[in-house]
Amino acid sequence: MNRRLFVVCAAALSLCAPICAEELAPYNFKPQQKRWWAIQPVVKPAVPPAASGTVNEIDRFVFDQLKAKGLQPAPPASRTVYLRRVTLDLTGLPPTPAETQAFLSDTLPGAEERLVERLLASPRYGERWGRQWLDVVRYSDSDGFKQDDTRPNMWRYRDWVIQSFNEDKPFNRFTREQIAADELYPGDTKALTGLGFLRLFEDEFNQAHIRLRRQELLNDVTDNTAFAFLGVTLACARCHDHKFDPLLHRDYYRLQSFFANMHIDDEAPVAPAAEVAAYKAAMEKYRAAAKPVLDRIDALLAEPRAKYRKEYFERYPDEVQTVLAKPANDRTPFDWQIYHKAITQIEVPDETVMGKYFKAPDKEKYKALQAELGPFAHLLPKPLPVAQIMRDQAAASPATFILKGGSIEAPLQEVQPGFLSILDPSPASVTPLPDLNSSGRRTALANWLADANNPLSTRVIVNRIWQGHFGKGIAGSPNDFGLMGERPVNQPLLDWLTATFTTTDGWSIKNLHRRMVLSATYRQASDFRQDAANTDPDNKFLWRYPRRRLEAEAIRDSMLSVSGLLDSKMGGPGVFPAVPKGTEIQEGRHWAKSRGDEDEYRASVYIFARRLVRYPMLQSFDAPLALDSCGRRQETVTADQALELMNGDAAAGFARALAKRVANDAGQAPDALVSRAFRLTLGREPTTKELDRGRGFFSKQTQLANGQQGALEDLALSLLSTSEFLYID
Amino acid sequence: MLTDPNFLTRRRLLRGAGSGLGAMAMAAMLAEDSRGAALPDPALPRAPHHEPRAKNVIFLFMEGGPSHIDLFDPKPTLNKLHGQPMPASFGKPITAMGTAGNTLMGSPRKWAQHGQSGIWVSELYPHIAKHADKLAVLRTCQSDGLNHAGGVGQMNTGDILSGRPSLGAWVTYGLGSANKNLPTFVSMIDEREPFGNAKNWGSGFLPASYQGTLFRQGETPILNTKLPAGQTDERQRNRLAFLAEQNREYGLGREDDTSLDARLRSFELAYALQKSGPEAVDLSTETEETKALYGLDQPETAVFGRNVLLARRLVERGVRFVEVYCGSGSGWDAHANLEGNHGKWCKASDKPVAGLLEDLERRGMLKDTLVVWGGEFGRTPFNEKGDGRDHNPWGFTMFFAGGGVKGGQTIGTTDEIGLRAIERPAHVNDIHASILWLLGLDHIRLTYLRNGRAERPTIVGGNHMVKELWEG
Repeated sequence: MNRRLFVVCAAALSLCAPICAEELAPYNFKPQQKRWWAIQPVVKPAVPPAASGTVNEIDRFVFDQLKAKGLQPAPPASRTVYLRRVTLDLTGLPPTPAETQAFLSDTLPGAEERLVERLLASPRYGERWGRQWLDVVRYSDSDGFKQDDTRPNMWRYRDWVIQSFNEDKPFNRFTREQIAADELYPGDTKALTGLGFLRLFEDEFNQAHIRLRRQELLNDVTDNTAFAFLGVTLACARCHDHKFDPLLHRDYYRLQSFFANMHIDDEAPVAPAAEVAAYKAAMEKYRAAAKPVLDRIDALLAEPRAKYRKEYFERYPDEVQTVLAKPANDRTPFDWQIYHKAITQIEVPDETVMGKYFKAPDKEKYKALQAELGPFAHLLPKPLPVAQIMRDQAAASPATFILKGGSIEAPLQEVQPGFLSILDPSPASVTPLPDLNSSGRRTALANWLADANNPLSTRVIVNRIWQGHFGKGIAGSPNDFGLMGERPVNQPLLDWLTATFTTTDGWSIKNLHRRMVLSATYRQASDFRQDAANTDPDNKFLWRYPRRRLEAEAIRDSMLSVSGLLDSKMGGPGVFPAVPKGTEIQEGRHWAKSRGDEDEYRASVYIFARRLVRYPMLQSFDAPLALDSCGRRQETVTADQALELMNGDAAAGFARALAKRVANDAGQAPDALVSRAFRLTLGREPTTKELDRGRGFFSKQTQLANGQQGALEDLALSLLSTSEFLYID
Repeated sequence: MLTDPNFLTRRRLLRGAGSGLGAMAMAAMLAEDSRGAALPDPALPRAPHHEPRAKNVIFLFMEGGPSHIDLFDPKPTLNKLHGQPMPASFGKPITAMGTAGNTLMGSPRKWAQHGQSGIWVSELYPHIAKHADKLAVLRTCQSDGLNHAGGVGQMNTGDILSGRPSLGAWVTYGLGSANKNLPTFVSMIDEREPFGNAKNWGSGFLPASYQGTLFRQGETPILNTKLPAGQTDERQRNRLAFLAEQNREYGLGREDDTSLDARLRSFELAYALQKSGPEAVDLSTETEETKALYGLDQPETAVFGRNVLLARRLVERGVRFVEVYCGSGSGWDAHANLEGNHGKWCKASDKPVAGLLEDLERRGMLKDTLVVWGGEFGRTPFNEKGDGRDHNPWGFTMFFAGGGVKGGQTIGTTDEIGLRAIERPAHVNDIHASILWLLGLDHIRLTYLRNGRAERPTIVGGNHMVKELWEG
């Protein structure tokens, strides 16, 4: 079938789908497939009895399992260790000496609870835990592909995530806003930004094969929704039934069809309606006042604009040209998607047109006209805040077909929006929302994902939070709950937490944190015990606290914090700390020139997230690229990291500031300096041995560096590079 | 190792510190090599199991899956059946993209036999073809990975699932270091991160210090090798010695956590790298002729060529295992437009690989350096999307040269359309066992005790080594 004809037929099919489409026979899952642990309803299991050392229900499950394996839990860690652990864990920063002092002197019952409340209330909490969600959704400030263009307003989604965590937005609401804020909460401009979740796919402006691009984009959204919320590798079912899990080829497209109607909106105003109206009115006023000049600019540009349009129109293949040339009323929903994606390459900013065609005299004329606009500039309103999102283009959706081998050239049966067949084989119940000009499809999906009875989405998020505290989830592969993933080590615990989360705890992530970090399981010492290791060398059953290295952002932020440099400003466009020469990052193309302090000292989550390159220090410490959902980061130990700490400009700058701070606090006496440096970085006094060593080192470095300042900087840098500083113990 | 007395090495620490014996015992308990030694120090050389034929490996990884039937394995029958459905006698496989019902697609390539040995190489590799007599072309490679994640993972770690050490990590574990100042195992990429990223050079369940080092893309493969302004070598060494003591003390009672020991070592390696790294990666001392040999003078070949030349420099300086990706991030994955795709990547790799073989020979390094070429799988004889090919892990080609390999031979036969290996199949585990054998390591004896099981690089496979490689 010829391509254009196919598009027409596809559109026609969508109108008479129930009659024309070949019916899909129901799929008969085998009993074995139906026994997949992750799809079993979450039933709150009975809590094992309290035992020696148990504090809350988590401990009862964990200690009960330890006992069954012949293992003993570890004694609690010291209060100093616990303070550092939980502070790093919840805020990504070590405790300050004042915080340490306050906690250690709070000996009344409930001190830990008060500590945890303080940490959860810190704005740093959302920055740290929001980052984990940003990994999962592969957040990026740019397009990806070769061009990797900047997405100038994507950061509003990043800020929305951070704020949502800080506000303890219930996770079901958090889910709904990301999938269908526009449909579910019309007029709520704060919620709207959550739709940025659907706008995080890789893309490139300059694409000729629009139909293919549309499909790839939908694939990306489908894959990522499945990874992020369902913890399944549905991507494997794009071309065929999943080889291992009971996920059907059709399920991929059933899920995809929830998004089939999507429309990129990179200028969604996120201001209150009154502000938007005022903006529009002001713009009209401006245009009316400046009309004579604007008209002359238009006249100057009319011909080149038309020329550009023609040239780029003709570059398109026939199928795109046909759609663009059609009268608007004749365009099908599918056409409209092609149209919107194609038009941006034809209707380009004037600068592009001028850059291509303007000769010197035209440029002069244009410049003069711009100058004439000057007197009207005061009438220009402040630009509206806009977010980059995806929403529906209309109430009617294009049809979705199962694609043989994932190929758009090989459509099979049409499918209607639906969930994973093994959970619910019937089509989803969708109510179109003509008033909102939206299909209503995403509402149905959002409600399903945010349903307490969804066995996957609920377990998946609880498991992610557990991983955040214990380094590894109860189920070890957070993005793959399938048969190739790791089975949960303690499913009753996961289920109990999940059931509690969606009922008693009202989907509160902060409540989950409270349960976890206040448990005796979490408070255990991390010490090695041979007897326990003989039985459980990988500490699968948690007979001690699992030590782990800090993530890249927490390492850098901790350094900023103890050196007193951390700029606590939240939100806004990504910043560009200076990058060392010789990396693949090119200033001007990938990176902007650092403006100094305002770029250098912000928390790492605000560093511009270019999709294809990362800020080198974060890259060294395993920050992921935003190409695929990252459920769990790698934890490497490399010479690259050591060199970063030994010779990197950033680390040297932090050490310099820290040295200054130490000198400022502690004067000149070597013992006082060493002691202060330890307290600031490691949150404790040095031992006698360490004090001796530190004193000796300080004295020798004073000679080698010709002075105390250099010696102090060396001490500072050394302490910032210690394993003790870099690990959560 | 470092000679500065202030710079305590782990060995010295183990010997000197009171906890040394405990640490040794711990190490022995955790890692029991079949030869009964303690956890080997990755910074020291270790005796191989037998006389090695090769000392180093340069593994040229064509990521995405190059089409063997368009490069090394000509199939006249396939050309005859072009446009027809695949005869049932070949046995319909399950493919990644479900393309097995598609019609067969012949190879439009011009083929010729090359060298004295008459090895078949297509026109896509004109420069490599000139070295035909150095190549042992293994046409019957087999993998379990239908998709890239599994395939790339298996070619690097022996398994399609994650968690196992990479081959380079096993080599580091088995042979230790042959140099004082550079890593033992280096990976280089040319485009995106490969599928599976760091697990491809990771140490899996082996201690973290056996993992590979990823060189950065761009002009400076190793960043931060310059001493900051005002620092002197002595000052830095003293600083590192202080840090090492703090870290060592922190590691007491935590010996089971190999990442702490690895971190201690990472500073030693970093210090060494700072001294010798810049020299090792400085191409300015190479002649223009050498650079041109690797294609550094042409944009199509410059990126990969540069990495291959770096690989030679590293091997020269005692790096044992260098993996160089060509098309990292699935460049060769020609599901459509095989012509354009392979046109690009063959061009990118032909001259650099040929240049490497030439250069190694000239320098007398070829006899000690095993060069391996291949991807995670090959491609199907049936078409995908009309002008592409799907993944084929059932019978694909890799070639081996140098390092004791008998060149000028073709090993194994695939069926008449190049879909499956029919004679002398070689599973990835067999290939790994063979590479290890050439390096003097017996994959059965190279074990690491984990959870009560003596794990080996080949899991339960590797029982059919490709002995033809060295026996001819």
